Amino acid sequence: MADPVLLEVEHVGKHFPGVQALDDVSMTLRAGEVHGLVGQNGAGKSTLVKCITGVHPPDAGQIELEGDPITTYMPKRAYDLGIAVVHQRTKLIPYLSVAENVLLGHLPTYHGAVIQRGEANRVTRDLLKRFRLRLDPEMLVHRLGPAERQQVAIARALFRRARLLILDEPTAALDAERAEHLFELIGDLQMQGVGILYVSHHLEEVFRLADQITVLRDGKVVATRPVGELDQNEVVTLMAGRRLENGIARPVGATAPESEPLLELDGVSNPVLRDIRLSVGAGEVVGVTGVIGAGGHDIARALFGLEHLSSGEIRLLGEPYVPQGPRQAIARGLFLVPEDPTRDGLVPVLSVAQNITIVDLPGITRGGLLSLRKERAIARRYVDELSIATGSIDTPVRNLSGGNQQKVLVAKALALGAQVLVLEEPTQGVDVHATAEIHRIVRSLADGGKAVMVISTDIRDLLQFVDRIVALRGGRAVADLPAGETDYAHMLDLTVGSLGAVA
Amino acid sequence: MDIDVYAVWPLFVMVIIIAYTSTKSSTYLTVFNFENILSQVAPLGIVTMGQAILLISAGLDLSVGYNIALSSIVTGLLLEHGYSLWLAIGAGVLAAMAVGFTNGVLVAQNRAHPFIITLGMSIFLFGLDTQLTGGAPVNDMKGLYTAFGGNLANGFPFFGLPTVAIPLVIVVAFAYFFLRWTPLGRRAYAIGGNEEAAYLSGIPIKRTKILLYTLMGAIVGLTGMVLAGQINEASFNLAQNFELESIACAVIGGTALFGGRGGALRSLQGVALWGVVQNAIVFVGLSSNYQQMALGAIIVIAVMAQRPER
Repeated sequence: MADPVLLEVEHVGKHFPGVQALDDVSMTLRAGEVHGLVGQNGAGKSTLVKCITGVHPPDAGQIELEGDPITTYMPKRAYDLGIAVVHQRTKLIPYLSVAENVLLGHLPTYHGAVIQRGEANRVTRDLLKRFRLRLDPEMLVHRLGPAERQQVAIARALFRRARLLILDEPTAALDAERAEHLFELIGDLQMQGVGILYVSHHLEEVFRLADQITVLRDGKVVATRPVGELDQNEVVTLMAGRRLENGIARPVGATAPESEPLLELDGVSNPVLRDIRLSVGAGEVVGVTGVIGAGGHDIARALFGLEHLSSGEIRLLGEPYVPQGPRQAIARGLFLVPEDPTRDGLVPVLSVAQNITIVDLPGITRGGLLSLRKERAIARRYVDELSIATGSIDTPVRNLSGGNQQKVLVAKALALGAQVLVLEEPTQGVDVHATAEIHRIVRSLADGGKAVMVISTDIRDLLQFVDRIVALRGGRAVADLPAGETDYAHMLDLTVGSLGAVA
Repeated sequence: MDIDVYAVWPLFVMVIIIAYTSTKSSTYLTVFNFENILSQVAPLGIVTMGQAILLISAGLDLSVGYNIALSSIVTGLLLEHGYSLWLAIGAGVLAAMAVGFTNGVLVAQNRAHPFIITLGMSIFLFGLDTQLTGGAPVNDMKGLYTAFGGNLANGFPFFGLPTVAIPLVIVVAFAYFFLRWTPLGRRAYAIGGNEEAAYLSGIPIKRTKILLYTLMGAIVGLTGMVLAGQINEASFNLAQNFELESIACAVIGGTALFGGRGGALRSLQGVALWGVVQNAIVFVGLSSNYQQMALGAIIVIAVMAQRPER
């Protein structure tokens, strides 16, 4: 504990419209220390990281790096101070070499004009050797896999003499062997005095690597202690905010569906999913939850034919179903509401009406031509039914709020007459009011006899409106329970704690 | 209906140019001169409609210049060898459609940008065109010249307009109708606006692209007939620069270069502005070098004047 203090977060607060994202957050990170940062989705982890890296200036409190308060809030400034973040989305330039990516902005040149390629490769090779990274400096980055790209991003941070390295869900795209390499590297970095803030849902990893753990809940620090003073169950309890009952996972599929199943998955497997068995009946809302990478997104993509299945069977409306792609899924009555509406679900420049009917153009075609009158009638009906707040049905959807964009996506499913709906993260990024409305709409869809599967990492949100909830862990369904027989803490334990740990 | 300034600015600019030029020359503001402008821009206007449809779907076709030439050459050579007019026209248009279809298949099957695929096609067609003609133009388009080489009757209802105005009006009306009222036109907007969302909404992406490029081929074939008939010649350099000029006209009119937005009437405004500027420069007494400078400037201004995204 003699190591000097590297990062001191003091009483930091951050308010966003409608939510206190961080409230009086304090923590200390020492040089050479691995500090685990844990908390459920929405607990404030990413906001805290963004405050430290200068993306968001805090409203209250201050952040000190080696005793100097950070005053200028700009991501570039944080980089200059020696703070670097490595996450899934860290941008590398695909058609430049490893060396060029690592040294980017500081490439050795002849008189500032021509890059000294040999020198760049030599500098990079030395750096890589020092940290025992097995990368070829001359390799083009686009030929590297996710693990190696992550190493390049870390090497870049190290080259810029990062003293504080923030790793955000670093093992999400890594297999066990690659993850092991990462853990070794983290050990090496510690020895060299680099401080590491390790943000992860995987408590086993955090307990293995961290010296210190900070638990966030609802924007507040509920614990910041040495790892020896905590155990995994205690952390789950702290994340959940109340004591764990002695919940025991009921066996998968213990609850017989009361209605006729419209969607059944039997032993569905692919490189991520392991023997998934679940069903959704008419009139039923089934939640599927798990941390990022646990398989929820993969179930959605597999059902829509965007990812291949290596084995298993699916029945849709009682008939065998082999996913081939969105077009076929839609024709069979299955619709996917993707997680990022503006990226994957909607055509931003087209109007609300045009976005709703795009999914079923034959439905508004009369004698080979579009009936704009019919289109308007359909659009008006769903804008009213779902109370979509829009200037008019001719407003481009890009002008709508996130919650209303979600509703336009649901309207598409309704216009299509889909019997089975799969919704991914339907309440992500929408405000409290819109969330409540989306809950109500999903319930009413089920009441109308549809089968709805909601895939979400937000357990608390799911528990408010689903009938049953399936917990995923490492691509397996580890529990399938009526929502009334479980609670947040129990589900959290299943998805991240010791309860759901697969032998 | 409220007026959208971004949508009609080329009209305003055109009115200003016309007002200014009419003070400089007494022969400018005459029916004859405007008929002349119409006759000059009609072929470009026709192909601009096809280009606008492709741009809306986030595609484009750089092979239109030499594809127009190809259709005229096929027709011209058949006429020269004594084949009937309709057979020659049919073969010319089909040749252009075959090129369009090939472009469509290549664009749909590959991840390469249509820019490079249709550029390759353009260079290929240049070679094919010169090979077919041996570099020498066909100088007698027979019935096509009779059809498109002259003017309509004076007085009501055609007022002596150039005959090429007829195919222009038909194609503009078709493009307007196509984009507004056909499922295929709607699919073009959806793919251009967000291809991923269109795919997840069950739109057949490949089939739509192939159909759109084939439609472009048909419009190109028609342009070939009109242009070759108008000047009574079929040659490899019949429609040089039409590929870039048609893109420029569509974009000046407000069709987005990267898809999702635009329309037939807007693009027609771009064509009209193009023709008016070319013509006005002559009346103001500037050399034709200034035409190019003015047209270049207009393209850049048009892009800067487009509605800001978000």
